[in-house]
Amino acid sequence: MTAVAVPRRARLRALVGIGRMSAQSLITYRFNLLFGIVSALVQIYLLRVVWHSVYHGRSTVNGITLDVQVAYSSLAAVQAWLLSPGLLWDIPQRVRDGTIAMDLLRPVRFLPQAFASQVGGVLAMLPFAVVALPFAVLVGGAVGPASTPAFFGYLLGLVTGFLISAILNLIVSMVSFWTLEIQGMLMIYRIVQQFFSGALVPLWFMPGWLHAIATVLPFQASGYTPLAIYVGRVSGGKAAQLLVEQAAWIVVLWLLLRLIWSRALRRIVVQGG
Amino acid sequence: MRTVRIYRALIGAAMRSELQYRTNLIMQTIGGVAFQGIGFAFIWVVVNRFGAISGWSIGDIAFLYGMRLTAHGLWTVPFSQLVYVEAVIRNAEFDRYLVRPVNPFIQLVCRRVMFQTLGDLAGGVALLGSAATLVNVDWSPLAVCYLVLALAGGALVEVSVNMTVTTLAFRFTRIYALRLLVDDIFNTFGSYPMRILPSAARFGLTFVLPLAFVAYFPASVLLHRTGQLSVPAGLAWCAPVVGIALFVGAYKFWMLQTKHYSSSGH
Amino acid sequence: MHKRSGDIKDPTPTITSRYSYGMALIRVEDLVKEFRRSERFPGFLGGIRSLFTRQYTVTQAVDGISFEVDQGELVGYLGPNGAGKSTTIKMLTGILVATSGICEVGGITPWRDRERNAKQIGVVFGQRSQLWWDLPLRDSFLLIKRLYDVSDADFRATMKTFTDLLELEEFIDTPVRQLSLGQRMRGDLAAAMLYRPHILYLDEPTIGLDVVAKERIRVFIEELNRAEGTTVILTTHDLDDVERLCRRIMMIDHGKLLWDGDPESLKRRYAPHRELVVRLVDPHEKVAELGLAGVSVGDAAEGATTIAFDPQQVAAADVIAAVLARHRVSDISIVEPELEPIIRQIYADRAVAL
Repeated sequence: MTAVAVPRRARLRALVGIGRMSAQSLITYRFNLLFGIVSALVQIYLLRVVWHSVYHGRSTVNGITLDVQVAYSSLAAVQAWLLSPGLLWDIPQRVRDGTIAMDLLRPVRFLPQAFASQVGGVLAMLPFAVVALPFAVLVGGAVGPASTPAFFGYLLGLVTGFLISAILNLIVSMVSFWTLEIQGMLMIYRIVQQFFSGALVPLWFMPGWLHAIATVLPFQASGYTPLAIYVGRVSGGKAAQLLVEQAAWIVVLWLLLRLIWSRALRRIVVQGG
Repeated sequence: MRTVRIYRALIGAAMRSELQYRTNLIMQTIGGVAFQGIGFAFIWVVVNRFGAISGWSIGDIAFLYGMRLTAHGLWTVPFSQLVYVEAVIRNAEFDRYLVRPVNPFIQLVCRRVMFQTLGDLAGGVALLGSAATLVNVDWSPLAVCYLVLALAGGALVEVSVNMTVTTLAFRFTRIYALRLLVDDIFNTFGSYPMRILPSAARFGLTFVLPLAFVAYFPASVLLHRTGQLSVPAGLAWCAPVVGIALFVGAYKFWMLQTKHYSSSGH
Repeated sequence: MHKRSGDIKDPTPTITSRYSYGMALIRVEDLVKEFRRSERFPGFLGGIRSLFTRQYTVTQAVDGISFEVDQGELVGYLGPNGAGKSTTIKMLTGILVATSGICEVGGITPWRDRERNAKQIGVVFGQRSQLWWDLPLRDSFLLIKRLYDVSDADFRATMKTFTDLLELEEFIDTPVRQLSLGQRMRGDLAAAMLYRPHILYLDEPTIGLDVVAKERIRVFIEELNRAEGTTVILTTHDLDDVERLCRRIMMIDHGKLLWDGDPESLKRRYAPHRELVVRLVDPHEKVAELGLAGVSVGDAAEGATTIAFDPQQVAAADVIAAVLARHRVSDISIVEPELEPIIRQIYADRAVAL
């Protein structure tokens, strides 16, 4: 379905509108938002207590100090909440109740729309994440960035991490064009994504074989990678390499998404909505 | 007893209704297991790296985790619908319960059967079973008996807390937040040896939210770790009894509130 | 006003012994229901204040109503939305606890003894079905049988009667979620009466139904009332239901009972004029003044002239005779006053009076 010859500015405005709509719907579910943050704080507390307990007085384990580890867990929890696939359910729901037809009829292509809604969602949550940060630090802990370039590397990593997770979310929700009953699959995806993002277990503590798997998967991008840069676990050339890898992932996943989308589109046309 | 026959009839209806939606049952069950699995995976990695958590080996923690999960499954399988009381009240389904000559509690819990709760139960039993072979416990008939009682007691503790929150929904319509928070705390801390917590938190999770009685105390008893507790061993032994007492209290509270219940109108 | 239906079956043993013939089946005296709603103080500072204290607004949903209903009556309970109709019904069915006043149904206070009250009443909510959504209709009946301890023999007999009356055969094995609204409503009615309760509360039973379906439902209700002596309290906005079925109307607004009596008295009181619609053979001819007291001739509209007359002062036959004497008439008909404008008027007056 090619976009009608609508001027660029109009299309852009439409996308911003969609982003804002999804931001608003998230805000109206403020209650969910609040609960997400509280839940993250509960987890941060548990992790802090667990790390304290297992460190048992040792200053570093595997080159990581207790403070760094606790700070990692605190930040990772907030990050995970911010980038959480809350809108993952959006496309399947829209397919189920048919509103997807509206989305397809708009003079803007579908993929940009879906993307805009993800961006809108995250931007809406950003101020809440910033507010939640001091609480996370209070309940858990914090350390400063290893260096100034590390900090910028961290920010860059966050952006690329967000992009990867957004594209992955979209890819997975595309399955709903083939079958409506994807609840179980989505659940498993969320679990796998959560685990391998390193939100709970930082990759540096994983046993060798698990670590190997984790580095090969793209999920680490939204959790572990930016934080590893932040605390200086990886720096300089290695950090740059990681970021380049992420860029490569973005390209690959985007192409995959477009491929799947074109198939999905064909299927919709065949099925007749 | 008439109540039992009615319960069977209603639960049967709920099961048959649920089986109409065959397709996703298995997926949902697996999803449920995976959800709990990630928590255990974390513990496994940590113990793998650090050797133990507060002196509890992987076997010990798996045992504790299995106990908690089984207790959780034991109440969510029959009583999962307690969580939906707010929606039931809001859409006037509860009004219908009041107009039938059957205890509203039974009607509420028989409203729907959720097969994914079986995932929790199955996962818990599997974990418990495998851990039971790893831990340093002499599985005499007495020990097995205590384990069964403790599991039932743990289920009763958790369901009592849930029922109390459910009953509060009759007074405060937006109880969902509290429920989610309580569930989250139970899920997060329930499977860890509470030694790792500072004393204030330990107190809170023993006497404010009776989480310790669900699995930690009975597990400590079975694993001969009652010396590590900050409460007398006798109290830990009595976990099943505490469960019964809490359940009786919670049920009475429920009955009291439904008697004075007035539909909120719609 | 308190009529008795001819053929009343013996009361089932579930009715408490305190109830007996001679005493009204439903007795309501000075019934009051107040709702308290907490209000937050406005503004930001108000928000802080709200954390400590709240303002309460008290609304009288039902403000002291009294009535009695005998066994076998078919009562229409009318009122605009928010008038207190559903609140009253909810107290009668035991769903709500009254603030004050007396309410006795079959000798029982409904909210104090919910399970016992449940056995003597059937309730149909037009908007919400009591049937099991995913299962065949038949299963719902079997479940109700189980819940209300209906004997096998009674069940078979009742099912036969209802299946015939409501023509349930064609869809009794279909899952309820696949039924049309009319079919589902028939199912709900059958389910509500399966255990032969003495009282049937109907809340908007014909809402959303087509003409044929509505008639089916009305016939069934009428039959229940006539043959079984079931007392029916019908809450509805559909005045055709009322015209067709109700021998007694109670009207409520702003929590107070405005009218309690039969429809004819209501019409006589509020619409004392009846109308005669006349079409003359010569469409340009105008109907002349008839020179009778209590008669006023209206203007012609689309070839028909409406003549209003007061039946207390002059008989319809006399007016017709007078018209026929003066004109060549092609069509003449007597129009019965309709309930709707009357009721609208009553509510409007009431609103003004407040």
